[in-house]
Amino acid sequence: MPKPSLHIAILEPSRIICEGLQTILYQSDLDCRIHRIETLEELTELLETVTVNILITNPLQFVNREKEVRKIRRQYPSISIAGIDYGIIQKQSMLTDLSFTLYDSSEHIIHLLSKLDKQNRSYTMQKNEDDNLTKREIEVLTGLVNGLMNKEIADSLNISIHTVVRHRKNITMKTGIRSQSGLTIYAISKKIVAIEDIEI
Amino acid sequence: MKMADLIDANPNLLLMLQHFNIDFRVSDQTVLQLCTGHGISENLFISIANLYNGLEANVRIPFTREDMMHVIDFLKHSHHYYRSDKYPQISSYIRQLQENHSAKELKLLEKFFNEYFTEVIEHLDYEDNVAFPYFIALLKNEGSTDRQELYSSIEYGEHHTDIELKLKDLKHLLLKYVKIENDLDLRRKLFFALYELEFDLYIHSLIEETILIPAGVNIEREQHA
Repeated sequence: MPKPSLHIAILEPSRIICEGLQTILYQSDLDCRIHRIETLEELTELLETVTVNILITNPLQFVNREKEVRKIRRQYPSISIAGIDYGIIQKQSMLTDLSFTLYDSSEHIIHLLSKLDKQNRSYTMQKNEDDNLTKREIEVLTGLVNGLMNKEIADSLNISIHTVVRHRKNITMKTGIRSQSGLTIYAISKKIVAIEDIEI
Repeated sequence: MKMADLIDANPNLLLMLQHFNIDFRVSDQTVLQLCTGHGISENLFISIANLYNGLEANVRIPFTREDMMHVIDFLKHSHHYYRSDKYPQISSYIRQLQENHSAKELKLLEKFFNEYFTEVIEHLDYEDNVAFPYFIALLKNEGSTDRQELYSSIEYGEHHTDIELKLKDLKHLLLKYVKIENDLDLRRKLFFALYELEFDLYIHSLIEETILIPAGVNIEREQHA
């Protein structure tokens, strides 16, 4: 089966940088499609219609909008983010998976991006193959098993009820188990909670 | 076609015969002879047999009121099968498993099943004591027909789904997650019992949804017309 082409979004208001990156990418071996965007809002819109694999971003776009970025990552866990390191932002690695500078060779940049793509694919495959729950889903499951209501789980994890409901749907989809008592047994079998913690 | 040949092709039809209260010794009778002998219309018999054979109910010919009485009897008999046969059987297998193995999950699994069983019994009681008498009164043109009640019986269809979902949970837990060493004979018996139950529950809700409820709604419309 041929690999589907890689969708790369470039979030960078500078036209020079954007076109430079685009040229490097198109001249490489990577079979990719490039989407140019200038704001986080445009990214959200794009994500609604296209499955973006890699986002290359000017980290300044993330400043003061960390919450939104995290939300995007939660909503689209398969997206990888490469930051362009302008040497301005100290802790940009918090939100990006890797970064490169404008002075890196084009080979190096392509090498980094293909590595990111590979990780991404193996992550997605793993996810489709078993019932591995994400860290967040495990937290929601633990709350559920301990008899917490959706609202209480949302409050304790600092997320919205809507998000809790979405996690619950994913948990059911991955495990094939719907009822709370069934999920309790699942959680114990998987050693997510200890049986001593459960009232029998 | 001879009934015995049909059973040979799909032994699940034995369960159907039992729900129709027809003896298994069908001799050389054809389907038509068997139906006539038991006062069941061929139309109804074939429609339900089709469900057991994995085909859609063929409702080209509308069912009569007498057919519907037979449907209710059929459903009542299947309740008996769940209540006195299948669920106790499954329950005893789970009990045995729990006794044979120290895994603590099995205690919870037994609890899960017992709670589920209680829910099922409540639902069956409700149908036997409320829903079926209502349908029978409707069929006999007795009493006032309170629309609300019939429409709420559509909700029982949803309740059925709930019963089926918990059964699926149980199957998934045993197939995928709960670790039990060996004991394959007992576990296979348990699985077979679960699959048999699941199959009949599925047909049961199909009969309610595609035959009983639409017919009830039709009669109501006639009466209100």
